[in-house]
Amino acid sequence: MHTYEVFLKKDGQEEYRHAGSIDAPDDELALLLARENYLRRAEGDLLWMVDRAHLLIGDRDFVAPNSDKPHRDNDGRLVAAHRKSQREAQ
Amino acid sequence: MGRTWSSMEDFEAFLDDGGMVEVDDDMPDEYRTAVFRFIELHANSELMGGLTERDWIPMTPGLRHKMAVLAKTQDEIGHGHLLYMVAADLGVKTRREMLEDLFAGRSRFHNVFHYPARTWGDQVAICLLVDGAAVPSQKAVYKDCSYGPYKRILKRIIAEEGFHLRLGEERVLRIAEGTDAQRAMFQQSIDDWWWPALRLFGPDSRPDDRLARWRLKSEKNEVMRAGWVQKFVPMLHSYGFAIPDPGLTHDAETDTWTCGPIDWEPLKRTMAMDGPDTARRIAEASAAWENTRWVRDALDAAPAGAVA
Repeated sequence: MHTYEVFLKKDGQEEYRHAGSIDAPDDELALLLARENYLRRAEGDLLWMVDRAHLLIGDRDFVAPNSDKPHRDNDGRLVAAHRKSQREAQ
Repeated sequence: MGRTWSSMEDFEAFLDDGGMVEVDDDMPDEYRTAVFRFIELHANSELMGGLTERDWIPMTPGLRHKMAVLAKTQDEIGHGHLLYMVAADLGVKTRREMLEDLFAGRSRFHNVFHYPARTWGDQVAICLLVDGAAVPSQKAVYKDCSYGPYKRILKRIIAEEGFHLRLGEERVLRIAEGTDAQRAMFQQSIDDWWWPALRLFGPDSRPDDRLARWRLKSEKNEVMRAGWVQKFVPMLHSYGFAIPDPGLTHDAETDTWTCGPIDWEPLKRTMAMDGPDTARRIAEASAAWENTRWVRDALDAAPAGAVA
């Protein structure tokens, strides 16, 4: 028995979304069980499944360094303040 | 690896900040066990409800309603399936252990699935009153649920329970339009199912309820129960049916219905696995498990990835 992760995507929407998981002995039954458990009412138009054992996982510690990089963003505050002072000077 | 917390205080502060726990987090054992038991009870109840639903497929009147019962049965069994996946991922028991415990009478399921459904009227009453109690209960868990995988699966389950509740409301409309004999049958079903369904919410919540502390529940039992009474008393009255509660009162100023004193003894008996239909239900579920053993054996015997 394998545990598969189930991802669904609706037409016209950007991303596949994780829906849940399912146990199945092989790929064919995995697809069938996912359809019958996660897609009974057209919750998606496309289905991705991956054996949980094959998921490549970047854990929190790996991802964390990128959550504190303010220099990668610009909130536009300095320019906005400059424009505001210009308007007020007129 | 997931997150770790140095103490229960630390963990509860995380929950108080609105934190959501994920399956790979190193959650405190007490929390893990409490969440697991809660989901296992829910999964068991979906399965036991689905099996009784299945019993009624051949006896459901009319093709349209028969097809709806087929769909509802598949939903309930499907909910059990998804919930057992989420519960098993907590690592307390495997799915097979949970099922074997259920069929051996070692684990619990909700009180309403310890009673016999004798007539089509009973199925209508269950679809209205029991599903009508399950939806607000599940919504109250979903609303602020601290365990991410359960919250995400609940979203799907609640949507489908909403279909069932609307089906129940339509069935009531149809049976209310029926013959005197059909109306009498349904009145008997209300008499039999009103109190078990009301007791599904449980006794008043305790102020020290850990499930509330850990954001598994976000509403008090008595508040949900009062909402249920307020919804279904006027609905059933509007069709000319009576509520089997001599203590039922109506506040004309606020137009509020309040139920009379509640006898909790029947709930205690079902929780002790001694309800009116407990033994038969477990035997039936166990027989269904045995009768499908050949499917599981065939699946287990299939060479891994043979079809891939």
